[in-house]
Amino acid sequence: MDKYYIKFILRNRLNFITYCFLIFFLLLILRFFYIQILQNNYYSTQALNNIIKIVPIEPARGLIFDRNNTIIADNKLSYSLEVIPEKIENLSVLINKLSNVVTIDNSDIIKYKRILSKNQFSHTIPIKSNLTNEELAEFSTHSYQFPNVELKETLKRSYPHGALGVHYLGYINRISKKDLIILEKEHKKKNYIGTDHIGKAGVEFQYENELHGVSGYKHIEVNSIGKTLRTIKNFPAKEGRNIHLTIDLTMQKIAEKEFKNKKGALVAMDPNNGEILAYVSMPTYDPSLFIDGINHKSWNKLNKSKDKPLLDRAINGLYPPGSTLKPFVAVAGLENQLRMPPFKINDPGYFYINNSRRFNDWKIGGHGEVDIIKAISVSCDTFFYGLAIELGIPKLNKTLANFGFGIKTGVDLPNEKPGLLADAKWKKKKYKKKWYVGETAITGIGQGYTQVTPMQLALATSKIAFPNKSIIPHIKLNSQHLKQNTGLTPPINISDQTIEWVKKGMENVTEDGGTAAFIGNTTAYKIAAKTGTAQVFGLKKGEVYDEKKVPDHLKDHALFIAYAPAKNPKITVAVIVENGGHGGSTAGPIAKKIFDYYLTSGSR
Amino acid sequence: MNLNTIQNYIFHKLDRPLFGALILILIIGLINLISANHQDFSNTISHIVNIIIGIIFLYVTCNIQTRTILVFAPWTYSIGIFLLIYVNLFGIESHGAQRWINLGIFNLQPSEILKISLPLMLAWFYQKCASKINYRVHFIGGLLIFLPFYLITTQPDLGTSLLILFGGLTIIFLAGLPTKFIISSFIGLLISSPFIWNSLLNYQKERILSLIDPFSDPYGAGYHSIQSMIAVGHGGIFGRGWLNGEQTNLRFLPETTTDFVFSVFSEEFGFFGVLAIISIYIFMFYRCMWMVSKMQDTFSRLAAAGLTISLFVSLIVNIGMISGILPVVGVPLPFFSYGGSSMVVSLISIGIIMNLYSNKSLIAN
Repeated sequence: MDKYYIKFILRNRLNFITYCFLIFFLLLILRFFYIQILQNNYYSTQALNNIIKIVPIEPARGLIFDRNNTIIADNKLSYSLEVIPEKIENLSVLINKLSNVVTIDNSDIIKYKRILSKNQFSHTIPIKSNLTNEELAEFSTHSYQFPNVELKETLKRSYPHGALGVHYLGYINRISKKDLIILEKEHKKKNYIGTDHIGKAGVEFQYENELHGVSGYKHIEVNSIGKTLRTIKNFPAKEGRNIHLTIDLTMQKIAEKEFKNKKGALVAMDPNNGEILAYVSMPTYDPSLFIDGINHKSWNKLNKSKDKPLLDRAINGLYPPGSTLKPFVAVAGLENQLRMPPFKINDPGYFYINNSRRFNDWKIGGHGEVDIIKAISVSCDTFFYGLAIELGIPKLNKTLANFGFGIKTGVDLPNEKPGLLADAKWKKKKYKKKWYVGETAITGIGQGYTQVTPMQLALATSKIAFPNKSIIPHIKLNSQHLKQNTGLTPPINISDQTIEWVKKGMENVTEDGGTAAFIGNTTAYKIAAKTGTAQVFGLKKGEVYDEKKVPDHLKDHALFIAYAPAKNPKITVAVIVENGGHGGSTAGPIAKKIFDYYLTSGSR
Repeated sequence: MNLNTIQNYIFHKLDRPLFGALILILIIGLINLISANHQDFSNTISHIVNIIIGIIFLYVTCNIQTRTILVFAPWTYSIGIFLLIYVNLFGIESHGAQRWINLGIFNLQPSEILKISLPLMLAWFYQKCASKINYRVHFIGGLLIFLPFYLITTQPDLGTSLLILFGGLTIIFLAGLPTKFIISSFIGLLISSPFIWNSLLNYQKERILSLIDPFSDPYGAGYHSIQSMIAVGHGGIFGRGWLNGEQTNLRFLPETTTDFVFSVFSEEFGFFGVLAIISIYIFMFYRCMWMVSKMQDTFSRLAAAGLTISLFVSLIVNIGMISGILPVVGVPLPFFSYGGSSMVVSLISIGIIMNLYSNKSLIAN
């Protein structure tokens, strides 16, 4: 190693490094001088902001009532034990100690950890919710042992009538990640900071914005161990609006009771204004299951049941309308100057297309001389086969669409299905096959591809009752929704003569000789109706349908549409009883009970 | 033998000014850690154990024969490299990085070993080639640095790998790398910097970007930086007082015992406290460099300088990080942060420096 290297290079470079480091040290000192002395005020404010915590205040959810002020969705006081996570030194020790006083199981701990991991805002986190009265008493007497556990009162949703009307009422559930994304998109996330629940179905979902209210918040000062010292600012929450429904809960009860354990749906509507009086979808389920997040077992049971209790049959159930479509087909014919009385046919009990394909009437031997009024009242298939073929699908569908078939009714409930009015174009697209005349014929009696919801049937029936009224079915009383949607179903332009004939036909249904004669004869008021039977499966050629031989789940659906009183109608009912057999026999009596209650009991 | 001679016998190799400053820092660090732990004493006790083990290592390395260190240099390097490869394959993952080997009693961090063995290895290598230092020698020196640098980068632990790279390059610089070469490669580095940027992992990019404006994303990448600066700024001139740092106690401050241990100190002891600590560190640094300048042989000078620089670069990076002028790269503060490997390695480094100084004339012959 030469002297030159040591003397110059090494010494210089060592000095260079030393000076560099000293400069770095100096810079660091300057930096601390800047932050700690010059910017001390700024950072102290920042630190103060850290010491002031913002605690959201959850607004009380709006209550839901029926039209007679009966409460359907209520808020109940519920007690929970909450802790400040920063103060817990040993969670398992605390849980052990708490277990002597209240029951804490694994799901509580999982829930606590889940909320803790997601939590950004709340000051305290529940470790045990829904205390029973015994647990409440037990904790209160021992509360001195738990200085770090706070007893909190919260309002919790309760559905006092259980499963009654669950499909229109819906339920609330814990806010999911998906909900959060939607809330974020709609810029509503801020309003849900302190909220755990959100409407997921039915009215609870539809009117979420009104029911939820506006979140409040308060600034609280916490000391160095996280204990609340005082509230600095308080912006109270604005509670959600109460909602009144058009539903008559007594009628709803009667209707659901009448279904017994049968599946199906019922919609009762005031044809004057579209208010939904009863809204049944059977079977039902208990909405309370969902409030705290439904457990897997219950969910699987509901979701996998072949009876499909979760399906809202009133607006999501698609059924072939069967003969209940005939009054509307009749309107189409008459409006196109076809089959105008006194035109009659002689019904031999069958109908031939091109002298080759034979279509049977439901009545062997036929109905004899039939005009359009009798065709409706005795539900003559032969008459409507011919009418449909002569009319053609386009004209028929145009009238049916005017009655609201094939399009959503616009009811203020989520996820309504539009049903289906099929035509050649649709079939080409769907099956890549051409349309046959025979398909036109069976469309005329409500079989074939046509699919309707019970809600659509109720609306269409109401339009027979009042063709000149523009109504939209709705479930919220005095709903703003109506005004926004006028124009969706404009009044249909039908001649008075046409409607008179069709009404006459429907009135005769409950007279002697009509398909639902047994219903109308006994009462003081008159019912105009139409029965229907929808095939669940196709009969093989030459096979005869025998109700007694067919297993229950393959039995025909029974349909019944009606309005009453026949003069100046006050109520429309559409009923579908799945696998209920012939329309008049099972669906009719249910509608009858509704009419009896509504038109004869003391309430009206 | 009187008391004085016993003292002389036991401590004759310890550099008293340096050792005194070290003990002072360790005690302050320990007191600070009690607060940083939120007064949970279990960590504090294992910190004391770490210090005691470290001091024993310091005493041993200080008193062994210097020749032993020289002989062992290539071995420690080889073992270090082997452990690095091992940890990359079988190590314990923590915070998304594989850095530890589980030895049952404690977790060993091989990259810490390299902080000692790389300077020793380079010093040993230049000592061997002292008579004929040329570009070829520097190139091999570069390879010796690059191998551990690459292995640690892939763990991935960018902070430590950069420290090791910097420490190693300083040794080559001191070994007499021509100035012309330094300048031209510096220019080359500037030109290639965009490509280096692209090879960084996302979290590393985020950390560097968040440094430019930590307030742009206060709940994301910049959170640690902001919370640390708030704690430091909140301290003011005199500090909030021991155990009274609100930012620490309310747990706004992250990783209070390791990377951000000095933020806790800054909040509680204020600018004057910081000034005192940095002054002690400056004294230690200056003392180490002075000792290096007194050494007589290449191995001692290069090894001691390399160790000193590794220690104090880590120190400057850490303090720069908590005061928000350097990115959050996860480098502990020597003698202050909680962590066994770091503590023992830092103390061994000091031990070796003292050893080389006390034997300043032995190897030369």
